[in-house]
Amino acid sequence: MFAIFKRELMGYYQTPIGYVFMGLFLLISGFFFAYNHLFTGSAYYSSFLGSIFFIFIFAIPLLTMRSISEERRQKTDQLLLTSPVSISDIVIGKFLAASSVFFVTLLVTVLYAVVVGTYGDLAVAQTAGAYIGFFLLGLCFIAIGILISALTENQVTAAFFTFFSLLFVWLINLVKQVVPADNLSGIIFAAALGVALSAYLFFNTRSWIVGGIAVIVSAIIIVLLALIDHTVYTGLIGNALGWISLLDRYNSFNLGILKLDAVVFYLSFCAVFLFITIRVIEKRRWT
Amino acid sequence: MIQVTQLSKRYGPHKAVDDVSFTIQKGEIVGFLGPNGAGKSTTMNILTGYLSSSEGDVMIDGQNILENPQEIKAKIGYLPENPPLYMEMTVQEYLKFVCEIKNVSRNETAQRIEYGLETVRITDVRKRLLKNLSKGYKQRVGLAASLMGNPEILILDEPTSGLDPKQIIEIRDLIRELGKDHTVVLSSHILHEVSETCERVLIMNLGKIVADGALDTLARSLADTSELVVRASGSKEEVEKALGPVSGIKTLTISDSPEPAAVDVLIGSEENTDLRKDVFLAFSAARVPILQMRSKNMTLEEIFLHLTNAEKGVE
Repeated sequence: MFAIFKRELMGYYQTPIGYVFMGLFLLISGFFFAYNHLFTGSAYYSSFLGSIFFIFIFAIPLLTMRSISEERRQKTDQLLLTSPVSISDIVIGKFLAASSVFFVTLLVTVLYAVVVGTYGDLAVAQTAGAYIGFFLLGLCFIAIGILISALTENQVTAAFFTFFSLLFVWLINLVKQVVPADNLSGIIFAAALGVALSAYLFFNTRSWIVGGIAVIVSAIIIVLLALIDHTVYTGLIGNALGWISLLDRYNSFNLGILKLDAVVFYLSFCAVFLFITIRVIEKRRWT
Repeated sequence: MIQVTQLSKRYGPHKAVDDVSFTIQKGEIVGFLGPNGAGKSTTMNILTGYLSSSEGDVMIDGQNILENPQEIKAKIGYLPENPPLYMEMTVQEYLKFVCEIKNVSRNETAQRIEYGLETVRITDVRKRLLKNLSKGYKQRVGLAASLMGNPEILILDEPTSGLDPKQIIEIRDLIRELGKDHTVVLSSHILHEVSETCERVLIMNLGKIVADGALDTLARSLADTSELVVRASGSKEEVEKALGPVSGIKTLTISDSPEPAAVDVLIGSEENTDLRKDVFLAFSAARVPILQMRSKNMTLEEIFLHLTNAEKGVE
């Protein structure tokens, strides 16, 4: 895994990607820092990172677009997959390399905090919390990007889809406010989830029995829940979106609170996406 | 060393490899021969663990590749059809990376790299970026990379493609040399390349193995007829009449010749019968002059065409 990590990290700086990512990130964050803090003389630094979330939407696709798609296009995956390294080593190595580039870039922005601390009153706990949250949030976005990069051979396609996925994640809180919250739409949403799950099981097993059982079981659960406590369905769509919302959980970090559940959520989010990536690569060998 | 049983690979409804079985002993040099799309590369990709088979098993050294992939992959050096190079790296950096992922120990790495560079003669380009190398050099870097882990088995997919004639001869000599202490499986669609390097050939067509054996044995078993090509000055009728008394003719084809007032005659006979004298005397008696006469042995190309076309006819 270390060899993969090292090569990948080297690759970021042998191609312009690493420099472009760092340059873009630091240019935009520097602009916002100057505008919000230097010019206005504001020492409220922990809000700074919250104001530059949108950089992720542009910068993370750059960082992850080549990651796996380029291996496939150049056929170098043939070298990796026929060598005594496991697929999880490959994926984790790549994830860590992208994370390291992000980490180093983020480290540069600590200089801004030092500036604020030198000439003003820096809220250290809040700032540290915001940094931890911001880093974890970045890791989640990188995990999404790597999964998308594994789905295509074309880095432009990968960048494009990563961009829209991140945009969706970013806008999820807005979407949450406009989705219908009544019971009926909650039930329809639950039914759609049940059907999707059954379809997934069916396509994986190619067995009508498994798919059928899944449909029946999810129907029974939906009906039972509706009979026992139909308020479950009130605002279900919004709640489900809120549950997967990455940005909501960032707020506690911003206040200097290190909430364990949020840290665990972010890390398991990464783990799930990396796991799916591994499965995608494994599955391709069979088809 | 390598044992493949009833291997199949499906891409949707299309069967790229169809029920293929073979065994390769330690130390053999085996050539996979077949037209494009015959399933050679797919078979090799399955042998090396890059792809998984749809059906059937691959056993390397008595172990199933699915059950013990890491250990088996360490024993195999693979040169795919397109050498898997990271274009932004230099030759030396690339070989070092290959050593690392092939679990070559730190102390041996430098020595392995030197060995690789010297074996395929690319010492002079070691500091160059891979993207700036010519096709032939890239191919040789790929070959060097396949040697890095000191594998027992070498699987080479068209190892000489993109090389100039001098390099081809060098690489062939190298493969023969490597064959002394490695098991080598190589693929090619160039026939005499295989005949020069391999002791045994597996001819594939449309996903199936249509022949397996040493080349000369294959040639003999297929040559159930020997043929005689004659160019005679005369008409079709005259030739037919002239050959009437000759016994032992199995097939007779008469076609127009590029020369004026002459015909080309293709006479097929039973195996191990020599009709040349009889044919000469018969033509002479009928006063039809023979302009040319030669006996035709089945060449490698003809064996190949015979096998691959015969199969197509069945489909």
